[in-house]
Amino acid sequence: MSDSLAALLTALADDELIIGHRHSEWTGFAPHIEEDVAFSSIAQDEIGHAAAYYTRLSQLGHASDADRLALGKDTVDYRNAIICERPNGDWSYTLARHWLYDAADSVRLEALESSADHELAALATKMRREERYHLLHADTWMKRVAAGPVEGRTLLITSLGSAFAESAGLFEPIVEEEAAIEAGWLPAPSHELRARFLARTAESLEDWGLPAEVHAGLDRSAEFVASSSGDLIAGRDRPGKDSPVASHGALGGRRGHHSEDFKSLWDDMTSTYRSNPGAAW
Amino acid sequence: METFEVFRRSGHKEPFEHCGTVSAPDAEMALLEAKECFTRRREGQHLWVVKRSDIHSFKDESLLEIAADKSYRFAEAYRDVVTKRSQARSRGRALPEKARSST
Repeated sequence: MSDSLAALLTALADDELIIGHRHSEWTGFAPHIEEDVAFSSIAQDEIGHAAAYYTRLSQLGHASDADRLALGKDTVDYRNAIICERPNGDWSYTLARHWLYDAADSVRLEALESSADHELAALATKMRREERYHLLHADTWMKRVAAGPVEGRTLLITSLGSAFAESAGLFEPIVEEEAAIEAGWLPAPSHELRARFLARTAESLEDWGLPAEVHAGLDRSAEFVASSSGDLIAGRDRPGKDSPVASHGALGGRRGHHSEDFKSLWDDMTSTYRSNPGAAW
Repeated sequence: METFEVFRRSGHKEPFEHCGTVSAPDAEMALLEAKECFTRRREGQHLWVVKRSDIHSFKDESLLEIAADKSYRFAEAYRDVVTKRSQARSRGRALPEKARSST
């Protein structure tokens, strides 16, 4: 059993579970019926990926089943990036986050295909087939909204600004990252994955004629500095004051520090599990 | 938004069949939606979307109704052809020799 592999799997699983949960909140409310089906389906895929990671984690001797690893833990034990737990806001924010999340996830999965944990590598290969479609879905929407009319385009640009700032959290180093790299579980360090993610998203923004400045928030959030306790924390991660993320930093999720938004999500998501822990559903 | 008609087929030897409709701003988006709505349970590996406005039909579909008796176009109109033939043969045998050779 390896703690650093467990830490990596927990971060991956929690990201997928929490983003999947947020996506699922659109079920019944998406802009139109066909998109409702499509987005709900993506939500199910993400939760399916989370289940696969939790199952792998349970095989490592953590003596817990996937349900318990997903739902039977306290808020501070989740290692998801904060961007995943943010409320859906309007469709423009949901879309911006969906695109950034899946762009980040595809970079991450590509790397994980050569993980030294063969089970994880095989999972990554399998998941990439679905993620390819998620990204196509996001790209298609982004391209369409970016092309106008102007109202949607403007909303999207604003939302991209705040989502980009918080996407830094997806590349916050996991706990025990050095050990995970040493062992080959994580084939590339988070900062390298982040650079690939930035290059790819910048290219798409250019293709779609979207302003490159939406990147700016990410650059600000990604200045890591050492806090008094020696942890790496965000330097100046404060996007514009009107942005929905203004009052919280983008980083900390990988160490279990979550935003206020997470508490109500957790209450909702785990309520059934907590009503009868250990029950088989 | 445009209305797109969706066609799918389950294999290379099967015909494309109409399976439903989606609303989308363009064909690219219509395909994504059609994938989710109509091939969720492995119903097909091939999908077409066609803008409804690109589909042509008769303005007056009463043209398609068959107005007169066209029973000769149907196989069932020929169901008693065997009986008729044998009746004709026996009528032929009943004729005098001279009449038969002249026909």
